[in-house]
Amino acid sequence: MGSEDTFNKLELELRRGVVVLATLSQLRTPRYGYELRQALADQGMPIEEGTLYPLLRRLETQGVLKSEWKIDEGPPRRYYSLNAEGRKLFKRLTGSWQGMNAAMGQLLEEE
Amino acid sequence: MTMNADELIESWVADVAVQLPRRQRNDVAFELRSLLREELLARAEDSGHDADVQMATGLLHDFGHPDAVAARYRPTLTIIEPADGHHFLKAMVIGLAVIWGAGLFVQLGQPMSSGWDLLLVVSRWWVGTVIPSLWWPGVLVVWFAMAAWTRRCWPSTGDWKPRANDRIQGGRAALLMGMVGIVCGVCILYEPGFWLDYFWSGRVAPQAIDALTYTEEFRQRQGLWLFVLLLLNIPLMIGVFISGRWSPGWRQLSLALGLLDCVVMAWTILDGPVFLSAVSNETAKGAMALIIAGVILTQAIRFYRSVTPMPDGPVRVQESQ
Repeated sequence: MGSEDTFNKLELELRRGVVVLATLSQLRTPRYGYELRQALADQGMPIEEGTLYPLLRRLETQGVLKSEWKIDEGPPRRYYSLNAEGRKLFKRLTGSWQGMNAAMGQLLEEE
Repeated sequence: MTMNADELIESWVADVAVQLPRRQRNDVAFELRSLLREELLARAEDSGHDADVQMATGLLHDFGHPDAVAARYRPTLTIIEPADGHHFLKAMVIGLAVIWGAGLFVQLGQPMSSGWDLLLVVSRWWVGTVIPSLWWPGVLVVWFAMAAWTRRCWPSTGDWKPRANDRIQGGRAALLMGMVGIVCGVCILYEPGFWLDYFWSGRVAPQAIDALTYTEEFRQRQGLWLFVLLLLNIPLMIGVFISGRWSPGWRQLSLALGLLDCVVMAWTILDGPVFLSAVSNETAKGAMALIIAGVILTQAIRFYRSVTPMPDGPVRVQESQ
């Protein structure tokens, strides 16, 4: 029980670290909240709705996302996508992630 | 009153939105409601039956408490920095313990003759000390919040600064002032009545002189020891002044001197009167008790804060191959 709890907490920490990058990666094309969540889940990165939807607004406030209301087969939906600043940020974070990923790959392969 | 799934979502969305800034409240509420409905429809499709209250309740439960979700829409607000959490807790517990303990001590000093009196004392302590003592956590919150804000605005103020353990607090000037203070103190304490008479040009009432006149017994017993011990601080301080630091040897000497002072003061408290006047006597003994408590507390804190780097288990020696 204790070790399962520890695993869950640490796995959550790992996930938290990649939530923003995963979200940005799927916003190179405009998506609305539910669609984005589905896209992430389909690719093996499920993010809780209570985390993802507020995150979109926070990223928009931070000036890395742009959004607009659109009607496209259904009710009005708010579509989010990377703006110029967001694309730069995404590129830099991707570089950092790839560097860390390569280092971790080496670390984990040792012995 | 029972609510349907849509009303449940409306109520939840309203509880989230009301906590957001007015300029984004309606927009977020509209988006959230639309997303929740979509999520609910997807769950209904997955389960193969129409959305109902139970399903909506489950969805909202998974989403989280409205307070928590609303908080996620705003930038993180930190009142007390995580790094200060333990300091805050420690200061609060110690402060409250001191306030409550002092209050209880004062209340228990009241005459008690029955269990009813004890109950009265406890209730007076609760109303007069415990409840008003909540000002202390409040002061601490403000203090730590201001410290955190200062560090955020001016990060360099939070930089770590090295401190040498053997430094002289206040430098040599402070030592010099300390020595002058001891000499003046000894001169005044040796014959306080004389100085009172001198400064008031002989117009002091005899009762005032009596109040500051030592008993002959004290003068010949503890008085002599107390003055000698007090004066011994001067060569100690001269030594520290010359070496420019509190070396372990000086520290041990100072500790020994302080403890000897405490022993003689404890002996004085337990022995006969210090002054001819009963009031002065009680005041002097009270002051000595406070000094003893201060010295013991200082040493206890110093011991608690001392660090001696060493492994907490046996060290295995790696055999060379």
